[in-house]
Parts: sequence; structure tokens; C-alpha cells
Amino acid sequence: MAVRAQFEGNNEIGVFSKLTNNYCLVAIGGSENFYSVFEGELADTIPVVHASIAGCRIIGRMCVGNRHGLLVPNTTTDQELQHIRNALPDTVKIYRAEEKLSALGNVIACNDYVALVHPDLDRETEELLVDTLNVEVFRHTVASNVLVGSYTAFSNQGGMVPPKTSVEDLDELSSLLQVPLVAGTVNRGSDVLAAGLVVNDWMAVCGQDTTSTEVSVIESVFKLSDREPSQIQTQMRDSLVDTLS
Amino acid sequence: MAHIVKHITVVPSYKDFVDIVLSKTQRKTPTIIHKHYKISRIRDFYMRKVKFAQQSFHDKLSLIITEFPIVANLHPFYGTLMNVLYNTDHYKLALGGINKARQLIDDCAKDYVKLLKYGDSLYRCKCLKRAALGRMVTIMKGQSKNLLYLEEIRQHINRLPTIDPNTRTLLITGFPNVGKSSFINKISRADVEVQPYAFTTKSLYVGHTDYKYLRWQVIDTPGILDHPLEERNSIEMQAVAALVHLRAVVLYILDLSEQCGHTLEEQLSLFRNMKPSFSNRPILIVINKIDIIKPEELPEDKMKVLEEFRAEGEPVLEMSTVTDDGVMAVKTEACERLLAFRVEQKFKTNKVAAVANRLHVAMPKKRDNKERPPCIPEKILKRKNAMEVDKPTRRLEKDIEQEMGDDYILDLRKTWLLANEEEKYDVLPEIWQGKNVADFIDPDILKKLEELEKEEEARENAHYYSESESEDDEETREMRKTARKIREKRLILTKESGEKRRVEKPRMPRPTKRSRSQAQLEGDMMEMGVDVPNDEHSHYTRAKSRSSSRPPIKRARDESVGGTSRSKSRTPRDKSGLRDSTMVSKVKKIAKKAQKPRNHQAKKGEGDRVILNMKPKHLFSGKRGAGKTDRR
Repeated sequence: MAVRAQFEGNNEIGVFSKLTNNYCLVAIGGSENFYSVFEGELADTIPVVHASIAGCRIIGRMCVGNRHGLLVPNTTTDQELQHIRNALPDTVKIYRAEEKLSALGNVIACNDYVALVHPDLDRETEELLVDTLNVEVFRHTVASNVLVGSYTAFSNQGGMVPPKTSVEDLDELSSLLQVPLVAGTVNRGSDVLAAGLVVNDWMAVCGQDTTSTEVSVIESVFKLSDREPSQIQTQMRDSLVDTLS
Repeated sequence: MAHIVKHITVVPSYKDFVDIVLSKTQRKTPTIIHKHYKISRIRDFYMRKVKFAQQSFHDKLSLIITEFPIVANLHPFYGTLMNVLYNTDHYKLALGGINKARQLIDDCAKDYVKLLKYGDSLYRCKCLKRAALGRMVTIMKGQSKNLLYLEEIRQHINRLPTIDPNTRTLLITGFPNVGKSSFINKISRADVEVQPYAFTTKSLYVGHTDYKYLRWQVIDTPGILDHPLEERNSIEMQAVAALVHLRAVVLYILDLSEQCGHTLEEQLSLFRNMKPSFSNRPILIVINKIDIIKPEELPEDKMKVLEEFRAEGEPVLEMSTVTDDGVMAVKTEACERLLAFRVEQKFKTNKVAAVANRLHVAMPKKRDNKERPPCIPEKILKRKNAMEVDKPTRRLEKDIEQEMGDDYILDLRKTWLLANEEEKYDVLPEIWQGKNVADFIDPDILKKLEELEKEEEARENAHYYSESESEDDEETREMRKTARKIREKRLILTKESGEKRRVEKPRMPRPTKRSRSQAQLEGDMMEMGVDVPNDEHSHYTRAKSRSSSRPPIKRARDESVGGTSRSKSRTPRDKSGLRDSTMVSKVKKIAKKAQKPRNHQAKKGEGDRVILNMKPKHLFSGKRGAGKTDRR
């Protein structure tokens, strides 16, 4: 199921939230409308937690995490870390990473098994990733973009990459990540996918501007609501051709 | 430019137009002139008025010409529609007239400005101006009908429906009163008037509907009658324009019950006549009003006509807009057909190749035997399997916020998952006994630190750090030696260069303070063998002056008995505020030094600001050329 939401009039909801299979972090905003979107959908299954990192609301770009753990940048204050620690289940390992590229969410994209990272990421951070998140780490670019964390969004069931990715790159990345991949957009044509979309294995939240065609692609590729990725090539092909060209 | 721009500025009537321009001229040009002014000034005054009026007319007319759409540049659908509604010839003539008026006004202003150059009095200039403005107004008067016509068109264009000629479109057509408007009302949010008489719909109507994640434009057209094109009226012609020029799926609505007043044969003949105009487009024949009579119930002769319809080679569908039977099926079929048609068209161009990657779903090839299953919580799976649609409603944070209003404070600890729930709201110190509490979250931190320190100590003891810095290393000694050599050499170099740079000039000895004393003199003399007696002839001390003109010795004042205050002479201004004579002399010296630069400028002091010649002759006389007044 895919839900549309807005954070204080901003469609880049992936910047202000982090969604995994085990927990969900939401930025502290002026009102609770954005939080309640996640709360209403998720709160009875996984903890939905208000959080800030280094005093910022852009938590989705600052931290990276999956079912097994959470990595926060070293600018996170002790109190913020304490709060996150207390609010998340004990099975989730939380570590501060001493990383020069401190916006971890922008440089790392991961699901519960694999992570795609910026080619210049520290060796130590890579080791920390393996230990904390239990993932295989691949240094790679997406559509010749080093900020893999901002430009890709993937769960254990599927993934999306920017529309400029070539077919060969798509196949290569798909084999690397072991999930079906499709090139697409969110928020009426934005290619910054992770900013406009947060996704886990059973639900996705995307920006308010996302068109119904985009939503249907998202629902198919992430296998939400009984759809299969192959439907993009069969049932939705005509609509896609007609809107795109 | 395929679309009609809808925000055209209002076209004023002739009277308003003239009023606007003349009052603007009056407001925005100078108004006061006298006959004793220089004639060139009077001429300029009136020329300005004429030119200003001309410019205002010109601007307003240009605005009209540029804002109204040019029929040739429009999408053919809009071109035809404009022709049907406004008669393109008339429209072009009106715009041409406006253009001509603009040119005439320009020429007229030019002539009168030329004449004004020869005006020899205020009165004559004024008359010329009046004549010029009068002629411009007369020219505009000739355009009064065109202006009215254009305003009418403007208002009509504003009310035209916004039809995008290039998007996915369903076009509904047929005889009047067969149920076209009811159909559009059923499938879209459009609210078209439906009445039981012919030609209820007199113009094009647009509605929008959704199908397959796409937005579809539905156009309702006025009904058309079966007669030659030349005999069609403008209402029918609008429908024809849409039929001919829009790349849409055409839904030909059929009334089987013949309640519309036209027999099935007539409807068939209309379809056959119209078919050439919507060639190259998907067509659907839709039988409406099946709630009244079903195709199976038709009499023999009518059945035959219906068979002929089926023989046309287009799909025939049935529906009833009253009972909603088959309405959705018709919409689905129409959309599917148009989509397939459009996709097929697009595949003929090379546009699709550019988005090929977006139609590709990359499926992973297995690279190892590791299973990577999705991890969806049991609860979600159960809910999905049970097809539980409405979840148990929960009091959301948003609701709480709304209820509490301004008193709401976000409770961060609400979601904490602690082993002991009671500890949730305990006060947590950040700093305790000068230490950051967060540093001691790990219970074994002190033990770990101790271990680390021990390890460090062991290293220290094992000379792990010092070894590398041992002095009696051959290499180190060698290095030191070299360093010393370098340092010495550098010192020598600096000294040498200092020697070279010294000024080679004889130095004058400083005048030392002369100190002569009686004892010294006597000593020197004694040394030279001259005996110097120290008596009154030796004149060591200064003799008393013999002059008698000395001021009388003042008598010292006695201490007054009464203890009254004694006046004191005021200290001179140059000594006031100074401690003693040394300070005075020092201050004098400083003052003298400060005066030095002023002396160079022949100034008396800092107050001396005299400018001897305020207006030098050479700067204020003679012809002035291109330069500025103060740079010559």
C-alpha cells in the first residue's frame, strides 16, 4: 500500500523520515500531521518514533538503518542518541559512525541484506555497516551519480533507480542487490527518489505530488498490495508509454 | 502556439479608448506654458504633447494586435473553431483595421511635429496640437466598430472550454437528443444540461475522467443533423470542427427507440456521411436507451438496419444512461481502444526508444544461494490474508494535538520501550559530578579504561615509544652535525649581507653636552704648568653689574593678620595645565614639530583655512567644452 504525505508543505518526505521493517523515525515538526500519517499506518506493528539528529529535522538524510541496526552521524548529541536508544527495540544495534561524509542517508542505500555505498566512503564505516546492519556492502554509482542514498530507494522486495539509468545498469544493479529494479520517478517527475519516497516491505509513503501512474509503478515494483513488478511491462505498459513520450 | 491564450486585456470602446489616451496625455505631460516663454520652449511643450498622445495610442493598439491569437498559428482545431464562431475573415479584417489605424496615427503625429517646428507663437502651436489630437481621435473613431467586435470576441474566447487538442480525448457525437450529454454526465464530473428537446447543447463541453491511472478528456458536442456541410449552422459546425481535428476516439451514440425523432435509417446515413471525416481514428458505435427497447426486441425491418450498422466494421456496444447498464463498459472499451491506438502511433516515432529503460523491469540473476526473504510482521500478513479493510481506529497524536490546541506539548518519552515502565518519566541528569552521564552508559566503561591504561603502561615500560627517539644513533648524530653546520652557515650569510647593505658614509659625531667645571679647568691648567689662583681676580663668578638702572627690590609682603585670601596671578595660557618647566619645554617642542607640515603650506595653524581665491578666473570664464567645470 502506498500513501501520499507532505511534511509542512514539503513533498520531500524521505528527508524528514526513515522507514525500516523494524522501526520508523519521524522528524519533530511544527504539528503532528506528518507523524500521524506514519502513526496511523504503522504504530500497531512497529515503533514510530519522533527523533532529531544533531538538532536537525533532516533525519532521513542523516542516518541509515535497517531491521538490524541504525547508524547515526557523529554529530548526533548524547541526548538524541539516548532518546533513540530508549525508543527502539533492543534488537536494533545503534552506533555513531565517525564518517567524513556525515549525511549517511545520502551516501548509503540499504535493505536488510545489501547496501550500496558512495565510492569514497571510509573503510571503517564500511566495516561498521557490515557489523551493525548485517549487510553486504557494494561501492557503486547509480546513473553516474555518487549519492546513491539520495537517488535510489529499495526494500527487500524491489527497488527504484533514477530514470536516466540505462537498461544494462539496471540489470547489473539488480543482480547486485538481488531485487527487481525499475527506473522511475516520484513527485511528478523528481528523480531524487529517496527524498520523495520511504519504503519498507509492506508499505510506502511518497510525496503528495506523486501522480497515480507513479504510485502504481511504486506499488508494483515494491510488491505492495498484491502486485508484481512484471505488471509494469504488461498491464501498465500502455499508460506509461502514453504519459512518458 | 497551439492553445488559445485566454487572458486577453479588455478592449475599450472607441469613446473609452479616446478618453483614456487623452486624459493620460493631460496627466503625464506638463500643463503650464506662457506666451512670453522662449518660442523653442513653447514648441517643445506642444511637440511633447503630440508625441505622447501618439505613443499612448500606439502602445494600446499594439497590445490588442499582439494579444489576439493569430489564426494561422493555432492548432487546426482552434483555427476551425474560430472560423466557425467568429468568421476568420471578419476577424482578420478587424485586426487589420487596428493595425492600419496605428500606422495612420504614427504618420499623423509625425506630420504635426514637423509643422510644430515652424510654429511662431503660442497660439499657433496650440492650434496645431489641437488639430493633431483631433485627427488621431478621428482615426480611432473609424475603428469604433472593430473595437466593439474585438471586445465581443475577447469575451467569447474567455468562455471557451479549455480543450487540449493533443491529450487523450473521448469525443461523443450523434443526432440531437440521443443521450450524449447524459453519457458525459455519467462518466465525468461535467454538469451538462440535459433536456428532452433537440439542441439543448449548443457548444462544446469538456469533462474529465480517470482510467488506468491516466486523465481522460471527454468532449460533448452539439448534435448534428444529416445534411450537407454547407447547410450546417454554426452550432453543428463546432461539433464538426472537433470531429475533424481532434485525435480522439469517436463515440457515435445511437438511439434505438427513435425517441429523438430520427429513424434508424437516418442515423445510419448520418454515420455513413460523417465517417470519412473521422477516418484514422478509433470509432465506437454505442446503442443507447436499451432500457426502452433491446436490440433483440426490434421489428424485422429495423433489425436489418442494425445489421447494416454492425456490417460497418466498427464495434457496437449497448448501454443505458438511465439504468447505468453498460456505461462503464463503453468507457472502458473506448479508453482501451484509444490507448492502444495512441501507443501504436507512438511506437512509429522514435520517442518510445528514449523511455525504453523505464518500461524495463530488471529481474535479479542469482549470484549465491543465500535466501533474502522479505520480513513482514505476522500481524500485517494476517491482516492481509483476512482482508481486514478497516483497521482498529487509534487515537492519533494529531487528534490529541487538535483537542488540546495550544496546550499541546509533544511527549517524546511516550514511545520509550523500557524494561521498567515506571522509569519512563524519571529525571535524567546530563552532567553528574562534573562528568557527562552519556560517557558512562556502558557499565564496564571504567574497567575498559583501566585495561587500556594498563596496556599503555606496559608499552611505556617496554620502551615502545621512546625507542625510536634514542640519541646515540649513528644516523641522528650525523643529522645533528649537518644541522649545526647549516645553522652556522646561515648566521654567516646574514651577517655578510648586513655588512653589504650598510651605508658607507662618514658619520658626524653627536654634539656631546659641554661640561666644564672649575675643578677641571684648574686641573688642566695645573697639568700644563700654569698656576691658577683661586681669588677674586680669577673671575670665576660673574661680576655684579654696575648698572644702576635696576628695578627696585620689592618689599616682601607680610603675612596679613586677618587671614584673607590672597590673589594669585593667572598662569599664562601656554603654561597652564603643565606640571613644570621641563614639561613646558617638551610641549613647546611637540607643538613646533606639529606646526612643521603647516609651515610648508604657509598656514598659520590648524585653524587657518583661508582660500585666497574662491573663484579662479580660468575655471569660470570662457566657453565650456566637453569637460567638467572643475577639471580644465
